[in-house]
Amino acid sequence: MDVHEPARPRVGVVKLASCDGCQLTLLDLEDELLPIVGRFDLVEFPEATSNRSDGPYDVLLVEGSVSTSEQAAEIVDLRARTRMLVTIGACATAGGIQALRNAADEPAWRASVYPEPDFVRSLATATPIAEHVVVDAELRGCPIAPGQLLELLTALRVGRRPQLPVESVCQSCKRAGNVCVLVADGIPCLGPVTQAGCGALCPSFGRGCYACFGPREEANVASLHGWLHQLPVVDDPDRLFAGFTGWAPPFRERASRAVRAAEPATEEGTDA
Amino acid sequence: MVGPRFLARGDLDRLVGILAESGRTVVGPVVRDGAVAYEPIGDASDLPHGWTDAQAPGSYRLRRDGSRTFDVGPPAQGLKRWIFPPLAPLATAVRGTDGSSSFTAATPSAPPLALLGVRACEIAALRVQDRVLAEGPFVDEDYRARRDAALVVAAQCTRSCDTGFCASMGTGPEVTAGHDLVLAELDDGFVIDAGTSVGERVLDRLGLASATSAQTEAVAEGVASVRTAQGRPVVADGLRDRLMDQLDHPRWAEIADRCLACANCTMVCPTCFCTSIGLQSDLDGATTSLERRWDSCFTGDFARVAGGNFRPKRQDRYRQWLTHKFATWVDQFGTSGCVGCGRCITWCPVGIDVREELLAIAPPYEATLVELPVIAGSPGAYVPATVRSVTPETADCSTVLLDPGDDGLLAARPGQFVMVELPGFPPLPISVSRVADGALWLTIRAAGPATAAIIALRPGSQVGLRGPLGRGWPIERAIGRDVVVVAGGIGLAPVRPIVDAVLRDRDRFGRVLIAYGARTPADRLYRDELARWASAGVEVAEIVDRAGPEWLGQVGIVTQLLDQRDWTERPTAAFVVGPERMMQASVRTLVGAGVPPERLFVSLERHMECGIGLCGHCQLGPFFICRDGPVFSVDQLGDLFGREGL
Amino acid sequence: MHDGDTTTEAGGTEETTRYAVRQLTRVEGEGRLELSVRGGAVTEAHLEIFEAPRYFERLVVGRDGNEVIDIVARICGICPVAYQMSAVHAFERLYGVEVDPVVRSLRRLFYCGEWIESHALHIYLLHAPDFLGYPSAIELAADHREIVERGLRLKKLGNRIVAILGGRPIHPVSVRIGGFSRAPRLADLRVLQADLEAAIPDAVETVRWAASLVPPSYAREPRLVALRHPDEYPMNDGRIVSSDGIDVAPGDWTDAFSEHQVPWSNALQARARDGVPYLLGPTARVSLAGDRLHPLARAALASTGLGDELRTNVFRSIVARAVELLHALAEAAEVTGAYRPPGEPHVPWAPRAGVASWATEAPRGLLFHRYEVDERGLVRRAQIVPPTSQNQAAIEHDLAAFAPSVLELPHAQATHRLEQLIRSYDPCISCATHFLDLRVQGR
Repeated sequence: MDVHEPARPRVGVVKLASCDGCQLTLLDLEDELLPIVGRFDLVEFPEATSNRSDGPYDVLLVEGSVSTSEQAAEIVDLRARTRMLVTIGACATAGGIQALRNAADEPAWRASVYPEPDFVRSLATATPIAEHVVVDAELRGCPIAPGQLLELLTALRVGRRPQLPVESVCQSCKRAGNVCVLVADGIPCLGPVTQAGCGALCPSFGRGCYACFGPREEANVASLHGWLHQLPVVDDPDRLFAGFTGWAPPFRERASRAVRAAEPATEEGTDA
Repeated sequence: MVGPRFLARGDLDRLVGILAESGRTVVGPVVRDGAVAYEPIGDASDLPHGWTDAQAPGSYRLRRDGSRTFDVGPPAQGLKRWIFPPLAPLATAVRGTDGSSSFTAATPSAPPLALLGVRACEIAALRVQDRVLAEGPFVDEDYRARRDAALVVAAQCTRSCDTGFCASMGTGPEVTAGHDLVLAELDDGFVIDAGTSVGERVLDRLGLASATSAQTEAVAEGVASVRTAQGRPVVADGLRDRLMDQLDHPRWAEIADRCLACANCTMVCPTCFCTSIGLQSDLDGATTSLERRWDSCFTGDFARVAGGNFRPKRQDRYRQWLTHKFATWVDQFGTSGCVGCGRCITWCPVGIDVREELLAIAPPYEATLVELPVIAGSPGAYVPATVRSVTPETADCSTVLLDPGDDGLLAARPGQFVMVELPGFPPLPISVSRVADGALWLTIRAAGPATAAIIALRPGSQVGLRGPLGRGWPIERAIGRDVVVVAGGIGLAPVRPIVDAVLRDRDRFGRVLIAYGARTPADRLYRDELARWASAGVEVAEIVDRAGPEWLGQVGIVTQLLDQRDWTERPTAAFVVGPERMMQASVRTLVGAGVPPERLFVSLERHMECGIGLCGHCQLGPFFICRDGPVFSVDQLGDLFGREGL
Repeated sequence: MHDGDTTTEAGGTEETTRYAVRQLTRVEGEGRLELSVRGGAVTEAHLEIFEAPRYFERLVVGRDGNEVIDIVARICGICPVAYQMSAVHAFERLYGVEVDPVVRSLRRLFYCGEWIESHALHIYLLHAPDFLGYPSAIELAADHREIVERGLRLKKLGNRIVAILGGRPIHPVSVRIGGFSRAPRLADLRVLQADLEAAIPDAVETVRWAASLVPPSYAREPRLVALRHPDEYPMNDGRIVSSDGIDVAPGDWTDAFSEHQVPWSNALQARARDGVPYLLGPTARVSLAGDRLHPLARAALASTGLGDELRTNVFRSIVARAVELLHALAEAAEVTGAYRPPGEPHVPWAPRAGVASWATEAPRGLLFHRYEVDERGLVRRAQIVPPTSQNQAAIEHDLAAFAPSVLELPHAQATHRLEQLIRSYDPCISCATHFLDLRVQGR
C-alpha cells in the first residue's frame, strides 16, 4: 500500500459528565503516547494541554454523557465541527452510572436532597451522545480498554475498520482458560450478555462481570435474569443490571426497577 | 505384549517422573478455582486425589468426599486448549517503504506433552479433531505438530459423571484405542496397560508385575457400572436424518428464549474448531500479525457479510450449532461431532441440556459424500504478488492485475477464488475474474476499507495471495449444450472466465445467452467486452434498475431477461452469480423454463476467514462454502438454497 | 472563547478588573477561575466548578458495600483506588472485619501504585509545563524528550502495580470487603519488585529536578491537615490531625469539619468547624508526617534544602509530590519483596446496621466517606468528601492572597499565573463534583 505521509489528523478530546478515566486512558498509553502525538495533532484536549482549538476536528473523542443544557448545546455544536465523532466509554455510549437517575422521579429527588437546587446546573436526565447527535464509532467500557483505543487510532491511520469484537465476555473468558464463576461458584456474572473488550477481567479476578462494556448484540437479558434470580446469593437480580451501562436499552427495564426500589429509603430525612 | 500390570498407588509418581523425562510437560487434571482443569503438574500430588464433583445443567461443584485420584468428571475445558490453543500465530505481513511486502507463515510450535488422565470421550474428541484438522485435504500444521508431540496416558472411567453421555454416542466409557498407556483405578492402585510401543517402553521402565485377574475383572466391572449408570439418553442411530427433518421445529424458537448465545458450549466443546483470523498492526500498519483465534457460530459477526448476517437470530445460531454437531458433521467428516462429554450441559450458564433438546426435536426412529478439491495452503501461507496495474471499471470497481510469486496461482480455474492479504487489513476472499498474460485478474468493488485500499494500490505494490481456492465452474458440463450466464452487478466478474472459456472454444457449445443486470448504466462492468461478446456470436441481454436519459435498453430486474424463454427443448447449462435474492429469483425462473437443477450452478457468498474449511465461518448445512463451493449445483444444495437463517 | 479574558468595568469611583479563565486546562475535570480586583484589592476570588454533578451519594443508596466500592470508583478516573480504599475501610470497620496482614500490606501497595501514577501524571504531564514555559507535555517532549519519557516510565509503573492487583489501572475490580477477590501471583510481584527497584533512580532524579524548577515567589503559613500514623506514612490508617491541634479518629471527620454549599460551584466546600480553610495533599503530608517517610525519600527531601518554603509556597507542591512519588516507589518495592500469598485472599463477613465511616489519603489529600447502613448492609444515606472540595476554600484564599503580586503583570500573564497557582493544588474537579449532602440543609 502506498503511504504518502498524510497530514496529521486534527484530533480533539473532550468530556461531558464523566470521571475523566476514558480520556486518561489515552495518557495511559505510555509507550505509544509520543508516537501517537507524532501522527495525530491533538488540537484540543483540555485535560492535557493549554493549547485550545474550536475545530474543525477530523476526529473527536467524546467522553461523558449529556447532563446539562449547556452540554446538550455543546455536543450539537461540536458535531458540526467534526468529521468523525467517536464516543468513548460507558457514559458516552450508554449514559454511565449517572443515567440511572433517568429512572427516578428526578425533580422530587433533587428537591429532597439539595439545599439550593437552583445553584446546581443539571438536566433531569443524563443521556448517551447518540441520543443527541450522529455518532460514527464507539468504544465501550468503564473505562475503555487501552488496546481498543490504540486499535481505533491504528485503524484510523491505516484506513481500515477497527477490530472490535462483538462477542460475549464468556468467549474471552474461556479463551483465557478461566473456570466459569457462575457455574462453578454460583457467583452472579453478566458475562453472557456483555460485550467483550475487557479481556474477561472480573472473572479472571474471581468475581462476576458487571457489564461495564454494556450489552452485546442479541443479549438475552430475560433468560439470564431468570437464572440469576434462583441463585441463593442474589438478593435482587435487578440491581445487577443497574450498573455502569444500566441505561442501555437491553438493561434499562430491570435497572430502572432497581432504582425505583431504592427510592423510599431517600424520602425521609433531609434533617439528619 | 505382556498384558496389563499393576501400578501401586505410591508408584504413580514414578510414572509421572518417567513421563516428564526429556523435557516433556505432563498435563493432567488439577484442582483450580473451584473446578478441575487440565494444567501442568509437577508430581502426582498435584492430581485431584480425594476429589469428586457434582455436575448438573449449569452447575459444577467440587466435593472432597472421594478416596481416588481419577474420580472427578471431565475437567472444565478439554484438551483442546493444549492441542488446538485459543490463540495461535498464523502469519506476519510486513510492508516496506517501497511498496513491497513480505509474508512469513508462522512456524508451528509443538511443546512435547504427556496428557495424563485422559478419558475415553477426550480420546474420541482428539480423533474427531484429527479428522477435521489433520487428515486433509487441508491440514492445520500447528494442530498436527502439537498432536504428534503429545503422549496420551488415558484413565478409565470407573465413576459415572453426571452430564456425560458417551455410551450413547459410542465413544465410551471404555478406553479402547488411541492411547499410549491406559490406567484403570482400583482402591489400592492402578491396572496399567500399553496401547503403543512407546507405552510399552514406559511400562518396561516401570518394571511392574502383571495385574491379577481379580484386578482386571474389578476394572471391567467398574467401567460397566458407568455404562449402566449413564443409560442411553441420546439415540444416535438415525439422529442425523431425524434432526435434519426438523429444521422448522417450534422447539428451536423455544430454546432461543433460554439460549444466551454466549458461546460457552462451543468454547468448552472438545471438538468445536471454528476460528477467526484476528489481526494486529503497528500504528502505521507496516507490520501486521495474523492469528487464529477460537470463534463461535453463536457470535454476531460470525456469519456476517457486507450486506448482512446469514444467522441474525439466536434461534438460527443454536440450530446451526446443534445440527452441525449432530448431523451435518456426519456429512462432512463421516462421524458425529459430539463425543458425549457433557461439557456443553454443565457449563451452559442457563443449563440448556442437549440430551433433552435432542429428545424434544428429534425423538428416536445416511450421507452425501462431499467431493473435495485438492489444493494446498495452510491459513498462514501467503505468497507475495505484485500489482501490475489497477484499471477502473466503474465508479467503485476496479480490475487489479497481479503478478503472482507462485505459478500455481495462475492455474486458477474459472469460479475459483484467492485470499488476498493486504498488510494492516484482514484477509479477503476475491473471485478470479480472468487469468491471462501471466497475471491474475481480480475485479474488486470498494465495499469497505480493505477493498478500497486494495484498489488504491499503485503498480509495484505487493499483496499476499493464497490459493487458488474453492471449486470452480464445471464448464465441462456445458459442452455440447446451450449456455446461460446470469449475472448481477459485480457478479459478472466471477462468470467472465466462463465466457472466456466458451469463446475460446466457441464451436463446442450451443447457443449462449449472457443476461446481465446492473443498478445503473454506469455500474455495468466490462462495457467494452460486453459489446465485443455480442459481436462474437453470443447473445448479450442487459437490464438496469435505474436508467439515465442515455440508456436505450431495458429497465427492470434481471429475471425479466429470462422471461418468455424456453429451454425445455434443448439441453442447457446455466451459471448464476449475484446477490442472494437475485440468484433465488433467477433460479426459479430458469427451472421453470426447463433448465435442470443438476446443470444449474450458483456461486454462493458467505463470511470466509480461512478459505480452506478450517475456520467454520462459511458453513451452509453440510458444506463449507469455501472448500465445497463456492460453486454448487442447485440440485446439490436442495432446500438449503435460499433458506433463511442457515 | 477559550482564552483567558478580562473585562474592565466602571463602577463607583474605581474600576473593577476581572481575571477569568473560562476553562482551566491540565486539571482533571471542568472548572473556571473568576477573580475581581478593585482598587488593588481582591474583591472576589472563585474557583468555579461547572463539572456536571453526577449524584453519587444518591446512586449508592440501596446498594451493599461491595457495590459501593465499584460505584464510588467512578467518581474519579485518576484516583479510583482512593475511593475504593476509603469505602472498603469504612465498611470493614463497621462490620468488624480483620483482614489478613498480607492483605493490609497489599492495600498499601495498591495505594502506592495510584500515588505513583497520579503524581507522575501531575508532575510531568500537567504541572511541569508551567515552570518550563510550554502549553503541554507534548511540546515539552519535543524539546526535552528524556524528561517526559522519565515521567511516562514512572507513570506506567504505577499503573502496572494497580493493574497487577486490580486488573486494570482505572477502575480496578479486585477490592472486596474482607480483602481482595484474588491475591496476586507471587511470580508477578517478583518481576514487579525488580522493576520497581530499577526505577528508584528515576524517582530520585524527579525530586532533584522538581526542586530545580523555579517557582513564583509566594509565602503563606497554611493550616495543614493529614492522617498521621505511629509507624507508617499516611495512607489507609491513622488519625486526622492538623498543624494546629485538630486530632480526631479517621471515622470522625464530621466532628472537626463540615461542608457548605456556595452558589458559584457545583461542588460543596468543606471547612473546619472554626471556618478556617485548610490544605490537604502532598504538602500537608510531607510537613505533618515527614518523619514517617521512607529513608530514601527523607534523604532526597533533605538534599533539596527547601526547608519551610516547601510548606509556605504552594508552587513548591511539585517537590512534595516528587518526594511522595519516591516514597511510594520505595515502599512498593519493599512490600513486593516481602510478599507471600495469603492463605485466603478474603475473609468472610456479615453486615450489620450502623454508620460506616473512614478517611484515607488520596493522592490529592484526605478523602472521607460516611455511609448509614441498614441491617441488610444496604446504604440508606451517604456522604463523600473528596480532597478537592476541602482544598477549594484554601485555593480561593490563596488566589486572593497571591493576586496582588501579579497585578503589575500584563493581563494574560497575570491570568496564567493565577491558573498556575490553581494547578499547584492538583485539583481534581471530577472528584469534587459528586456531592449530595443531606445534612447541610438546615444551614
